[in-house]
Amino acid sequence: MKHRQFREGMKAATPIVLGYLPVALAFGVLARGAGVSPLEVGLMSLLVYAGASQFVAVEMISKGMVWFPIVLTTFFLNLRHLLMSSTLSLHFSKVSLRVVALLSAQLTDESFAMAMADPSKIANRPSYVLGLQMISQCAWVVGTVIGASFGGLINQEGYGIPFALPSLLICLLVLQIKSSIHLGMMILSGILSLLFRWALPGNWTIVLTAVAIICAGAVIEMLRRRA
Amino acid sequence: MRLEMVWIILGMACVTFIPRFLPMALFTKWTVPERLRWGLEYIPVAVLSAIVFPILFFDGGGSLHFQSRAVLAALPVFALAWVARSIWGCVILGMAMYWGLGFVL
Repeated sequence: MKHRQFREGMKAATPIVLGYLPVALAFGVLARGAGVSPLEVGLMSLLVYAGASQFVAVEMISKGMVWFPIVLTTFFLNLRHLLMSSTLSLHFSKVSLRVVALLSAQLTDESFAMAMADPSKIANRPSYVLGLQMISQCAWVVGTVIGASFGGLINQEGYGIPFALPSLLICLLVLQIKSSIHLGMMILSGILSLLFRWALPGNWTIVLTAVAIICAGAVIEMLRRRA
Repeated sequence: MRLEMVWIILGMACVTFIPRFLPMALFTKWTVPERLRWGLEYIPVAVLSAIVFPILFFDGGGSLHFQSRAVLAALPVFALAWVARSIWGCVILGMAMYWGLGFVL
């Protein structure tokens, strides 16, 4: 552990902390509204630490969902980390498995984006990335527990809090649109998800849509290779 | 703490940790295969669309119904995300729009 690098990383986390706190508070409030206790919120933020999936999980818990669809949805939602983890790995060639476990456990969209903003700062400097990620997660855990503990004091329908999650997800969705094929896939997924949601009981919409799109993606890749 | 909640949290923790950990554990030793990239290319789009669109077109009870407040709040968020690519800007704009529309609609 290099203390100077660690402190440098902690400082670099400031914008993430400022960004996380309001969303963490909103999550705590929503989770409490869905009947999740502050202790459960804290444990989830500590062990799972994945903003969008935590919001989705709470949304599903509020509808009385059992664990399996929630875990499966979380799995599909976080598959995107495969690519971020792969990309980050290119910058750490001589790092022990224990450090890799720590580095990867706290990988989020935001810490990844921040780390990749200047790859020269992270290249074989795991202490820097650990400082960045530890402070970010601290902000998330503390913010969510505060939100859950004092959620009763805040009007949960007020200040647009119910729309915090959709807004975050809309932005993450738009950030994924990198080509006209991605745009087409968004429209196709949108239509399919509405059909699945309308036609089928339970909350299998996300999983079924993801599987359909994997197939569509494979077909497009095949056609592209043939052309 | 409820037992089912513990299962949900542990299950989520496992399936979140695996895709974060495996590639980094493997590719700090080996190089990234090309096929891995296009295999998963459209998954985030699919998952996020499948969450966002039903929010805009279904009510809380699960029946198909145009959610005018949500759709009107969502449109500027789509626009801001496209132009500024700012996650937190989108969250704040979306909350403000939704809050404001509550007084108008």
